[in-house]
Amino acid sequence: MASTAHPYSKPAKAHEGHHEEEQDMREFLMYDPKPRGEMNQMVMESMTTTSWKFWVVFGILCVLVATCFIYAWGYMIAEGLGVAGVMRPSYWGIFLVNTVFWIGISHAGTFISAILRVFKAEFRRPFTRAAELMTTFGLIQAGASIFMHLGRVWLFYWLLPVPNQRMLWPNFHSPLMWDLLAITTYVLGSTMYLFLPLIPDLAMARDRSTGWRKTFFKILALGWRGTEGEWRHLTTAMNFFAFAIIPVMFSVHTIVSWDFAMAMRPGWSSSVFGPYFVLGALHSGMGAVAIVLFIMRATMKHMDYFIRKEHFDGLGKLMLIVTFAYSYFFFNDYIVQWYGGDKWTDILLHWLEEGPMSWMFYQLILFNIVIPPLLLWNKKLRQTPWLLALIGLMINVGMYWERYLIIPVMLTINRMPFTWKLYEPRIELFLTIGTFSVFLLFYMAASRLIPLIPVWEVQEGQMTHSLRKVGKAEVPTVSEFE
Amino acid sequence: MSDKFSRRDFLKLAGVGTVTTVLTGCIAQKEVKREPYMQMPEYNYNGQSTYYATTCRECAAGCGLVVRTMQGRAIKTEGNVNNPLNLGKTCARGQATLHGLYNPDRVRGPIKHARGESLYETPVDPDADDFKNADSNMSWEDALQVVADALKNNKPEEIAFLMGTASDHLFDLVTDLANATGINAPVRFSALNMFESRATLSQAAENLLGEAGLPFFDVGGAQVVFSFGANFLETWLSPVSYTRGFAGLRESKTKLRGTFVQFESRMSSTAGKADEWIPLRPGTEAMVALAIGRLVSELRGNPLPRAFSDIEPLDVAAKSGIKLETLEHLAEMFASSTGALAIPGGAALGQSNGLAVAEAVLALNAVSDNFGKPGGVFLSPIAPNQTEYQRPASAKEMQEFTQQMADGKFKVLFVHGVNPIFELPASLNFKDALKNVEQVISFATFPDEMAVEADYVFPDRHGLESWGYQRVATGAAQPVLSGLQPVVSGVYKPDSTELLYDARATADVLIAAAQLADGKFADALPFQDEVEFLHSKVSSLMTEADGFFSAADADTFIAYFQQNGGWWKLSDARGAPNVADVLNRNISGAESEFAGEGEFFFIPFVSPTLAEAGANKPWLQELPDPTTTVMWNTWAEINPETAHELGIENDDVVKITSEAGELEVPVYLYPAIRPDTIAIPFGQGHTAYGRYAQNRGVNPASLIGQRLNEAGDLAFAGMKVKIEKTERKQFLSRLESRIGVYNEGMEEH
Amino acid sequence: MKTDLNMMGAKGAIVEEAEGKWGMVIDQDICTGCQACVAACAMENNISFVGEEDAGYGRTQHWIRIERFWEGEYPEVKMTPNQPMLCQQCGQAPCEPVCPVFATPHSNAEQLNLQVYNRCVGTRYCANNCPYQVRSFNWRDYHIDRFHANKVDGKSVYSFHNQFNPDVTVRRRGVMEKCTFCIQRIHKAQDTAKSEGREVVDGEFTTACAQACPANAITFGRVDDHESLVSQLSHQKGGVKHLEELNTLPRVTYLKGG
Repeated sequence: MASTAHPYSKPAKAHEGHHEEEQDMREFLMYDPKPRGEMNQMVMESMTTTSWKFWVVFGILCVLVATCFIYAWGYMIAEGLGVAGVMRPSYWGIFLVNTVFWIGISHAGTFISAILRVFKAEFRRPFTRAAELMTTFGLIQAGASIFMHLGRVWLFYWLLPVPNQRMLWPNFHSPLMWDLLAITTYVLGSTMYLFLPLIPDLAMARDRSTGWRKTFFKILALGWRGTEGEWRHLTTAMNFFAFAIIPVMFSVHTIVSWDFAMAMRPGWSSSVFGPYFVLGALHSGMGAVAIVLFIMRATMKHMDYFIRKEHFDGLGKLMLIVTFAYSYFFFNDYIVQWYGGDKWTDILLHWLEEGPMSWMFYQLILFNIVIPPLLLWNKKLRQTPWLLALIGLMINVGMYWERYLIIPVMLTINRMPFTWKLYEPRIELFLTIGTFSVFLLFYMAASRLIPLIPVWEVQEGQMTHSLRKVGKAEVPTVSEFE
Repeated sequence: MSDKFSRRDFLKLAGVGTVTTVLTGCIAQKEVKREPYMQMPEYNYNGQSTYYATTCRECAAGCGLVVRTMQGRAIKTEGNVNNPLNLGKTCARGQATLHGLYNPDRVRGPIKHARGESLYETPVDPDADDFKNADSNMSWEDALQVVADALKNNKPEEIAFLMGTASDHLFDLVTDLANATGINAPVRFSALNMFESRATLSQAAENLLGEAGLPFFDVGGAQVVFSFGANFLETWLSPVSYTRGFAGLRESKTKLRGTFVQFESRMSSTAGKADEWIPLRPGTEAMVALAIGRLVSELRGNPLPRAFSDIEPLDVAAKSGIKLETLEHLAEMFASSTGALAIPGGAALGQSNGLAVAEAVLALNAVSDNFGKPGGVFLSPIAPNQTEYQRPASAKEMQEFTQQMADGKFKVLFVHGVNPIFELPASLNFKDALKNVEQVISFATFPDEMAVEADYVFPDRHGLESWGYQRVATGAAQPVLSGLQPVVSGVYKPDSTELLYDARATADVLIAAAQLADGKFADALPFQDEVEFLHSKVSSLMTEADGFFSAADADTFIAYFQQNGGWWKLSDARGAPNVADVLNRNISGAESEFAGEGEFFFIPFVSPTLAEAGANKPWLQELPDPTTTVMWNTWAEINPETAHELGIENDDVVKITSEAGELEVPVYLYPAIRPDTIAIPFGQGHTAYGRYAQNRGVNPASLIGQRLNEAGDLAFAGMKVKIEKTERKQFLSRLESRIGVYNEGMEEH
Repeated sequence: MKTDLNMMGAKGAIVEEAEGKWGMVIDQDICTGCQACVAACAMENNISFVGEEDAGYGRTQHWIRIERFWEGEYPEVKMTPNQPMLCQQCGQAPCEPVCPVFATPHSNAEQLNLQVYNRCVGTRYCANNCPYQVRSFNWRDYHIDRFHANKVDGKSVYSFHNQFNPDVTVRRRGVMEKCTFCIQRIHKAQDTAKSEGREVVDGEFTTACAQACPANAITFGRVDDHESLVSQLSHQKGGVKHLEELNTLPRVTYLKGG
């Protein structure tokens, strides 16, 4: 490239007097390559180096899963949903809030991984896998939450179109049925999509480990040798899935929103619920990715090499855009409903603004709409990992409130005022802790078992990067090679 | 077609096939037959049911029932369509009588125990896994011997019977026994009757209508009904019959929709149905009735009768809190109507001037000149088998009875069908007086407070397992004798022929014990069993004219009696009162006096769903109160404005103090009660009576003093009480939404 | 052009002829709110009671409830006419299409909304979508709560079980239920009539609530038979159907009277 003195830095343009903008290109992962062997070793070490703190947290999570998930759920199955807080008129409660929340979380993975891959956004490279894992594990929690919600979960297979002698068939008119199919498709698709790019890394790990790990990786790597044919097939399959999973992702959350929007209820019966939910999902998903990246960087070995300010910056920009888009749909939903002046909707909005749960409503506006843009516009702030994680946390709290408002709080108001009652969560609280624990437990286990950094993708990126002139500016980009 | 069918071709074909299937599937089909996948039990036959006619024993009204039974189990109670009292209808308590029959807390068999000892082996605790009722610890043979000894070994005047108002055949049996042997005549009592002030009504009827008894108010035939506290749509006298009357008032093919005005300081569920609710100041009912009477007379241009001459409407308006214009408007409504009716009842009679209220209101009917006319006041027909109305004991008589107990005049007390410890105000000290009775034998079916305080419990069979008859005191135009017969032989242990509840009919016990006691007792009850006694009482009706059925011989008559659930006459036998000089008498329009120092009037009222003995039936507990929709508990009604001033909110527990006692009860901010009045329902607050009733709510009877009105009824509403907020809160279970009905959580700007 | 209503059932709901077959008329002017219908319904249909805590938390199992509101402030306060609210047996029922397992199908023969308890998996979507909020869910096994049992000879005996109506399913936990218009009685009456070679006569049988109602405020019968009492009453002036604007085609008419 242009400069000989600083092969990895942008050439100084003294005559333009923009010294402060000078940036060491080595801040960018793609321009800070390491030898392959060393990098592989770093990833292996990040997997195998485990401090006692890890096991403490892991142990606590195991206890939480055993009590708040397995025992609590078993107790609820044995006793009936009476131990939960659902009642008339809030027949749906936190279980479905959790479902929608986890599906929202799961959107981040696909969005970051598939959409950014399709659009060849380079900063995605080191953290696609972390995001994809969130998709898969989030969906598992979403599915578990749906089953928790069922009154007779032991008959869940009645929801599946299983051929049977009595010709009993599920009702394909029901949005819940669509939901079930969409989520199943999404789980399968996203798991495949997680697995495909993992294969070369598994093979790398296989070649660098011994003992049970070797066996484990050997099985999962499916005999990958890295031949050109294998790479070609993998690339094709990945492209195929990257394109295919995007519409699935949009459809899933749209269909989840239809569970509500199709129902004949004030507040729910809204035609923008589809995109509103998709954006909401992305909003919470982005936030969750920020949190996960922050935690990874803070706790895992060598992660400060792979996950850098540029990634938080890029993520911050995405979050900013999503915040604006979300705000648009938020106001579109509420203002249109308010203007409509339907009697029951009016009461409902009044209930949200003034009812006992109004604090949730205002926090939602604050956390999801007001605060993120105020902070994310600033590059410095965007590049502060803990701040981004904090914003991510805030957005997720806000998004959780949003779903809580839409489900149990909106359900309070219906067309029969004699039945209005406010929902109080009971065992749901434990089960919510339970699902979060399972998610974290899975994630922590995964961080020990599979490379969280798609190391071959990083290496591929580093190998193919160069600086290119766009207009007057020189920007790092990828060669035509890819 | 080429013989090579490539994969690509296959995919194409498969795609086309899928699309075709999807598209054709989307086209709406005209013929859609949708049937459920499963045949539910609702579609199946499980064998034939048998139906038995009997009589409801939940209260003393005597409504006829037809009970559906299957395989020896009573499944459902329905009204007996032929019974002139209820014409096939039942109230909620009649429906829930099955919860009495199958109540898990029924006494398991004859029991001897120490007084005050619980009839449970395990404490009543909602979290307890299993309950165990006290097992029977003696045989029926021993029990009979105990009763026989009690009869034989005591002087006749030392033996007393305290009985409830149902059923009448047992009362007749004991009366016969008493007449023949000289033991004390049985005393009957029921809290329902106490709150109805039957003695007052009867006395007023005697004074004004010329005959003691319960007047019959033809609500259905009236055009305008003024009710002074009479809660006739709830528990008053005969609620099923009066509800039918109310329906007739509102909807009739032959006349216009009638108007209904209720004068009451709190809006009862009866008042809730009124077109106008007049929240007058308690104690001013008499003067308001008289003032309306005077205004009506003036409007009609009649000379002012003596009854109304002393009353000054303007003065009344000031005292009662009713505007003069309202009084005039009401008077005009009353005067202009062709069929105006005024009914006295409820809390209005339970005051120190209760008799004056009853007289003043009955006098209003004289102004309307409706005596003996459709839509007016009649004398209830005298029931078959009876020569005059038998009034249950008034509070005064109960005071005397209790005094006799306290004085040690009774050595043996037999109690049946009544729970005096719960139903009588605590200030009467019935429980203390009981200590001076050597032997107390209870025939309670359920482990109520009285059974707990008895030495022996010899459980009677439940009403649906019993023989008997009930005289209809009022509510039907004809004389009616409703018959009881067992619809099931008993409640059995699962998969067993052994009885779960080894109860024995009290009549049988008394007959058998009398035989054992021998001598005059055996002579007094010369029957083999209850059924024979019953036949002896009923078969005399065989020769009566105008019967619903008649028979040539006694056996056939008895068979018809059982089959039809009783016997009644066909023609209207209501009496027209003798109306001479009704208005030519002095009726006091003075305000009633209130005992106690507090600033709030206190109105106890009978819970419409629970009444006095419904608390142990869980489905009655779960029925929302018609006005407040509260379930499973007791509340105090207080005006929201007053509550606001006192800093009281919903569910705050307040301490209410009267001259006679105090209690703590959660508050319901009731928008339809006078700001100076507190009301508490009666029906809960049991200290025994089974797992569903025990330790639930409070009993307002503990606040009621012993002041009587002129007729000897208790002035239960003649008190003033104090209210004090406590720190406690107790969440009342309501069916209604606090948000939707009271805007809680959505305060207006 | 005549619109074929059946063609409009695009949402999977069966749309019937405007009237339906069985219907009910409730006269709010004479309903006294005495709860006899509620008790009768519970006794007929094996409905469980839930206890104080659950009852106060919106978990009552009543298939019919009596609503009342207040108008005005003291002393001009009025109780609104009692409004018994039960399943309206909609001709186009919002609860039906949303059930993923067809547990709440429409019966063409009866033109009623059925609830197939044994098919229900408990998603509770139907209850959410019911604008009348008349569905109740079995949150627990209320019938076999050990609180109601007695230890007799070492065994738990539930004496209330003796009272179960054998014609009606006893529901366990996790199942939705609702008013069925006493379909067991409909079937009995129809079968009896069939075996005698005739049609069901108006007034031959009625639902438990209508049978008990002391004020006769509830009338049940064939609304498609224009001679029947229920049909005549439902066409009276002042008869309204609740939330008619939702096009649910309810089968219960309310007479406001007054």
